Amino acid sequence: QGLKPLAPTDYPHLIFGTSKPAPGLSAADSFLRKNKVPDLQKVFQRSDGLPVHLKLGYPDKLLYRTTMALTIGGTIYCLVALFIASQPKKQ
Amino acid sequence: MALQAHSYHMVDPSPWPILGAAAALLTTSGLTMWFHYNSPRLLILGLISTALVMFQWWRDIVRESTFQGHHTPTVQKGLRYGMALFITSEAFFFLGFFWAFFHSSLAPTPELGGQWPPVGIKPLNPMEVPLLNTTILLASGITVTWAHHSITEANRKQAIQALLLTVLLGLYFTALQAMEYYEAPFSIADGVYGSTFFVATGFHGLHVIIGTMFLLVCLLRLIKYHFTSSHHFGFEAAAWYWHFVDVVWLFLYISIYWWGS
Repeated sequence: QGLKPLAPTDYPHLIFGTSKPAPGLSAADSFLRKNKVPDLQKVFQRSDGLPVHLKLGYPDKLLYRTTMALTIGGTIYCLVALFIASQPKKQ
Repeated sequence: MALQAHSYHMVDPSPWPILGAAAALLTTSGLTMWFHYNSPRLLILGLISTALVMFQWWRDIVRESTFQGHHTPTVQKGLRYGMALFITSEAFFFLGFFWAFFHSSLAPTPELGGQWPPVGIKPLNPMEVPLLNTTILLASGITVTWAHHSITEANRKQAIQALLLTVLLGLYFTALQAMEYYEAPFSIADGVYGSTFFVATGFHGLHVIIGTMFLLVCLLRLIKYHFTSSHHFGFEAAAWYWHFVDVVWLFLYISIYWWGS
């Protein structure tokens, strides 16, 4: 439950949220949510050679490419703007 | 996965450091373009790319720790040193602004009327909203400690309640301070009083907002079962930062709001 390291160096003593929720509990879904951490651990520990920032596939790739486009594009725009700004004003 | 014969974390190659640096370039040049040429385009681009990099970098750290298990006790020790050193550097940052305040207020010049507060400045009453803000932050320090104890005792419901209360108190402080800024009878342009007041309290307010967001992320991670009762350093880091923000406020309150009025 919770953190499962590759090398077992951490043993959680107490466990969160494994007990069944009381029947008829109110709609406060914050603690009724299922623990998805073990599933996510399986996904992220797949031996597919993908780096962590692209591990989930398409959504990661999309966000990465958007960030790259904005930053690299922005840097070029910035260098052009700085070049123009550094030109002496015509008298 | 290949086995490693050490307890450190050799991270996967990542684009975020260099892209973060580029985003910082866009933000700073963007500020220049906005100040001198009245064009906010580059600044907005810089702020958006900074936000994107921050989101993905920290998302990756959560993936590396909670989902891939790379945060051994050795790694966690390094993170603790790192957070402690960062907070220390922030303390020095604020020290500078306190220096500026005391430089001007301990020996007020003739231009100020030889007094502090300067002639014509009507300071805020420290016993009104500033005192309320002090109690709010002190209370939030208690609730974040309550949240920590609940986490170590594996009491999920109380941990969520306490951390939620902490976040709400942080938001309440920010809302009240924003209202105070709006209603204040003096502005940042009102001599050295205005400068020292708004720059010191302004940077503090920014740190409250950052701290509140950090705590909010911890609340979401707590709800998603990321923390265990013995391993929850992300939360501890947020709590350290929050206590730091609280202590800075206490110094601000006593020196600028109270002694300085």
